[in-house]
Amino acid sequence: MNELQFKALLPYSLLATASIIVILLIAFRRNHFMIQVVGFLLMCGVIFALVQVRPLLPVAIPPLFQIDGFALLFTGLIIGSVAIVGLFSYIYFEAREENPKEYYILLFLSTLGSAILAISNHFVSFFLGLEILSVSLYGLIAYLRNRNHAVEAGMKYLVLAALTSAFLLFGMALVYMDTGTMSFPEIAQKLSAGGGSSVLFVMGMGFIVVAVGFKLALVPFHLWAADVYQGAPVPVTAFIATVSKIGVFAILLRFSLDVNLQNFPLAIDIFAIIAIASMIIGNLLALRQANLKRLLAYSSIAHLGYLLVAFLPGNMAGVEAAVFYLLAYSITLLSAFGIITMLSTRKKDADDVEIYRGLFWKKPLMALVLTIALLSLAGIPLTAGFIAKFYVLGAGIQSQLVLPVIVLVVTSVIGLYYYLRVISVMFAAPVPAEAWEKTVSPLFYNSTYIALVILALALVALGVFPGLVVEDIRTLLTVR
Amino acid sequence: MTINHYIFLSVALFCIGIVGVLTRRNAIVIFMSVELMLNAVNILLVAFSKMHYLAAKIINPATQAGIEGQLFVFFIMVVAAAEVSVGLAIIVMMYRNIHSVDVNFLNRLKH
Repeated sequence: MNELQFKALLPYSLLATASIIVILLIAFRRNHFMIQVVGFLLMCGVIFALVQVRPLLPVAIPPLFQIDGFALLFTGLIIGSVAIVGLFSYIYFEAREENPKEYYILLFLSTLGSAILAISNHFVSFFLGLEILSVSLYGLIAYLRNRNHAVEAGMKYLVLAALTSAFLLFGMALVYMDTGTMSFPEIAQKLSAGGGSSVLFVMGMGFIVVAVGFKLALVPFHLWAADVYQGAPVPVTAFIATVSKIGVFAILLRFSLDVNLQNFPLAIDIFAIIAIASMIIGNLLALRQANLKRLLAYSSIAHLGYLLVAFLPGNMAGVEAAVFYLLAYSITLLSAFGIITMLSTRKKDADDVEIYRGLFWKKPLMALVLTIALLSLAGIPLTAGFIAKFYVLGAGIQSQLVLPVIVLVVTSVIGLYYYLRVISVMFAAPVPAEAWEKTVSPLFYNSTYIALVILALALVALGVFPGLVVEDIRTLLTVR
Repeated sequence: MTINHYIFLSVALFCIGIVGVLTRRNAIVIFMSVELMLNAVNILLVAFSKMHYLAAKIINPATQAGIEGQLFVFFIMVVAAAEVSVGLAIIVMMYRNIHSVDVNFLNRLKH
């Protein structure tokens, strides 16, 4: 490994050191406040390193990694989301009796897994990244272990994740049999040379889809989503909804762009069917949910379906749309889960929609942030969600994907119903409820509040001036 | 033995693993079944690795083709061990909470 490659890996090595630093800090002094501050600074350091690395790109680290503009974008999204999830975690875990320190080790480890997925270029790094991500997620989901729900959610995720990673490996083995190599560019070379029968490759791809579909909670593999979202601690739910999905989507996108999946119509058809099913079933299941965490779970199934519509064309317009969609989606979900975290009390997560009755009259700013987030999820104009959906639609129409585009539009209208229902509950007349519990840490409470307001403003800003980031995304994506 | 024998063995083990995961109710047996599936993949990878090596050796006797498959097996073994250690910890927590390792009792998350 030469000096340039070493420099390019700097953000990732810093991320790997972050969890070790947290372990050492815990041994040295068990102070939640200090760990939180150091963790936040480390994440800022990783983002700074990403900015420094940018002019060096693209750098290939054969055979495992490829660091380019695409990887940088996805890593930036992942780290940004983790910094905000970390901020929520303080007020959430400080209010609970369980010891929250080791939580940050797991959080940074699974971030590392997700970031590895964004740069990996080889089946080995793909598998290792995915497993680092999911093994630490088992621990994170079941972290509040004295609550029965958390262990149940962790157990469900554990069994299904282990099962699907076996499927992933079987698929990789089939692709390996077909092509005799495991690195993406070489697989692409072998496939375009027609060196093997592509039936095996498509079969292997089918097995890989099981694992990827599970992680992204796409429809035939979505059964865990609602239970795990509900049972996991709120910051961990936000983490699953954003960081783990961004990482897995990044590797799916890179793999299919590298091997040029467009040449296999059968594989593309499978993805189209999955996308359509996710959009329809996700939205229909969300209609009757009275639990906000479960509602967001079903809505995220639908959103990943929308995202797959941008994935189907397999061209640069689609990738651009997908990156913008993920940016808008993660900001939106983080602000929604942030509000849930702030309203959660020691005894109960604020996941029942009835808790939000009349929120606007009690805490107007919070209600406004959640309203903007829900409107953005629904795709109302002047929010980032609308522009994101617009780009996805544009990419789909350009490639003549008639059916997925029609389903996208129709299901978005269905989706409007349940988002508006939550909003109308917030603006209803308040019930005389018990007094809000005093917060344990005013400093972090306020900084989370400020962060949420900034996120909501960012949603509106992106919705009005999408040009702010689209140009940057486009230039970064050309660094390949 | 031809490559087909290895493929049959491995597919059979993989299917036994799937059936085990789907039908068994005991969390530990489910875990054993998942391990069986992972090891089925290991057999498959080693067999394919040898197959690619033998095919490449005819052209170039000093070839390193097929080494990736064998290396991957070691990674899978390590990851499987890590997964089981975390998994068993969660199963122990489950036993403490509900005094059983039967996954049928995991049905409280619902409305």
